[in-house]
Amino acid sequence: MQHVKRLGQIGLAMLLVGLISAGLLTALPATASAQQKTIKYGTMHPLTGAYAVLGRDQMRATEMAVEEWNAKGGVLGHKIIWVHRDDELKGNVAIRRAKELVEEEKCDFFGGTLSGSISLAMNEFACKTKTPYVAYCMSDMVLGSDQCEYGAAFMVVPYAASLAVAQYAFKNVGKKWFAITADYRWGHSLLEGWLWQSQQMGGQFLGNVYVPLGTTDFSTYYAKVLAAKPDFIVMNNLGADQTAAIKQASELGLTKNMKIFCTKTAQHTIKELGSAYNENVIGGMSFYYKLRDKYPGAKKFVDKFIKKYGAPPEQDGECGYVATNILFMAIEKAGTVSDKKKIMEAMQDIKYQLTKGPEYVRGCDRQRVQSYVLVKGKGAKAKGWDLADIVAEIPGDSIIMSCADNAKKLPFINIKLPK
Amino acid sequence: MFEIPWNVIAMQFFFGIALGCIFVLLSSGMSIIFGLLDVVNFAHGTFAMLGAYAVFVMISLSGSFVVGLVSAVVIVGIVGMIVEFLFLKPLYGKDPLLPLLLTFGLSVAIPDLIKIIFGLIGKPVNYPEALSGTLVLGSIILPGYRLFIILFTLVALISLWLFLKRSDLGMIIRASTRDSLMVQTLGINVSRIWTFGFGLGVGLAALAGAIAAPMMSATPDMGVDMTMTAFVVTVVGGLGSLGGAIVGGLLIGLVVAFTAFVAGEYSSVSMYFCMALILLVRPRGLFGEQGRE
Repeated sequence: MQHVKRLGQIGLAMLLVGLISAGLLTALPATASAQQKTIKYGTMHPLTGAYAVLGRDQMRATEMAVEEWNAKGGVLGHKIIWVHRDDELKGNVAIRRAKELVEEEKCDFFGGTLSGSISLAMNEFACKTKTPYVAYCMSDMVLGSDQCEYGAAFMVVPYAASLAVAQYAFKNVGKKWFAITADYRWGHSLLEGWLWQSQQMGGQFLGNVYVPLGTTDFSTYYAKVLAAKPDFIVMNNLGADQTAAIKQASELGLTKNMKIFCTKTAQHTIKELGSAYNENVIGGMSFYYKLRDKYPGAKKFVDKFIKKYGAPPEQDGECGYVATNILFMAIEKAGTVSDKKKIMEAMQDIKYQLTKGPEYVRGCDRQRVQSYVLVKGKGAKAKGWDLADIVAEIPGDSIIMSCADNAKKLPFINIKLPK
Repeated sequence: MFEIPWNVIAMQFFFGIALGCIFVLLSSGMSIIFGLLDVVNFAHGTFAMLGAYAVFVMISLSGSFVVGLVSAVVIVGIVGMIVEFLFLKPLYGKDPLLPLLLTFGLSVAIPDLIKIIFGLIGKPVNYPEALSGTLVLGSIILPGYRLFIILFTLVALISLWLFLKRSDLGMIIRASTRDSLMVQTLGINVSRIWTFGFGLGVGLAALAGAIAAPMMSATPDMGVDMTMTAFVVTVVGGLGSLGGAIVGGLLIGLVVAFTAFVAGEYSSVSMYFCMALILLVRPRGLFGEQGRE
């Protein structure tokens, strides 16, 4: 009986671990009071869990943008009230938080999130409630029938990141490639982009391994990679998965004599990896703070962010900053705070230059068209936040498909993913 | 497609054993705590995470990887003893769920404390340059650090075995896991043995975390998966059995490695399948003793 009792205890313990990893046991409340002549903007970010560092920057940059607008008198004379919630990067939590923001807090607009799948659900919610939603994350929202007139997307579409990095890799490094792909929809989208670009540029796809999220030991996958002898490895993963994958590639000596391309990487990942993220590791980002050396707008944004928060912003923060600004610019352009439809129409084809070169929000699907930056690690030479150098900035128009193609998910729908 | 040569299989076996060694260290500690205290240590992975941060701090201070590893075990072991003395001891003899809930609380609170102290971004832990090379045997490439993990684990386990089998304290610990009441009637302060045993268990968890840190960086949330793995290995090997922890750890390491090779997407879930299969065939685990109190 003692044995059965212990097993029961372990079962309970495992259930609790599962609950922790599912993020069901934490929540952050937030309150805000409504005032007269105000508009209310609510955002959601993963403030707990593995991606909290990215969520925190989204939140900070949003706060900064709101403060800037309020400092110049708000939008059309309305002070902006900003409230935010922790969505824990969980779909069910995010839906609860969105309902809180729109139905209880009476937010006029909402935005945020770091997960493409959550953004799809948020977009659907925006359509139902006719409340404009600005997505901060890589999302397939603009593809197919998922989008409605109340949604806009401000991070690059997943396939666009692949096209940018793949164009650079096939042009500058070699043709034979092997991929390590996180086994969920986002990873699959990135792989589709790589396979398509590979076909266009005569690449030779040697194989792919799908790796479950949260994998800590990648060495068991590298034997397959070594046997294939590629010119470069493609990492379609992010966060702790990417950290472990590159650490262990470095351990095997792969980063000394082979290039590694991370379709999407993050500043904090490079920091965590230290010397392992060397000059042979090249990662894609929608924004890297060294763009401040190229664009005055980037300099203004980055310097202010560093002064306020002590570290340069992640690309997710920059995305939040731009999304928030464009929302308020659209309100000003529309000349109304209440006609939501008119505001979303005003957002279409809006042209601006904020943190990078000239950009616009595409009229046909309200997708921000922006460049994608490739950075090369500095390895042991990294110091403080001087972690990587920009090696290329791929123009936005060259990595996004037409609205007509996007609506039919072309050409990627024709790509057959490997088993 | 390419054919799979035998050298790749050999490498896969090697990686599986190296991975299994980390699991062995992790679950040995959990087994000792189980056997001695009847406590389901929900914070076991959290102590492993503390080991990873301890090795990061100690390497930064001393510049020595070995000093870092040893210090991680000692520091976290002492932290474990303090936790046992202050928080767990008052709960002995009461509802067995109370220690579980306490350690669950620790598994939530300690990572948050680490986030406050060290920030949200993980810390890179580097192993010495001497271990950064690879050993090439024909067409088989073996990373030096994985070889170190295997050898180091072997030394650690032999030392642990000698300590438990040959030393007076080790024999008292073993006797206490069998019948603590009898040990107490012999005039031995079992309470201190429990404190030491808990420290030893979490010290082993810290060693697992410290040795794994260079492979993945030290992050506040790394303990959640490690706790889960420790549970699985401990159940597979048999509750409270040190031999079971060793065999279970290596077995799970190999299962994960070969599943990653043939069907990568199922590598994480393969350990749970393995546990379910073993429990179906042998409910007390591979080395669990039937009816042991």
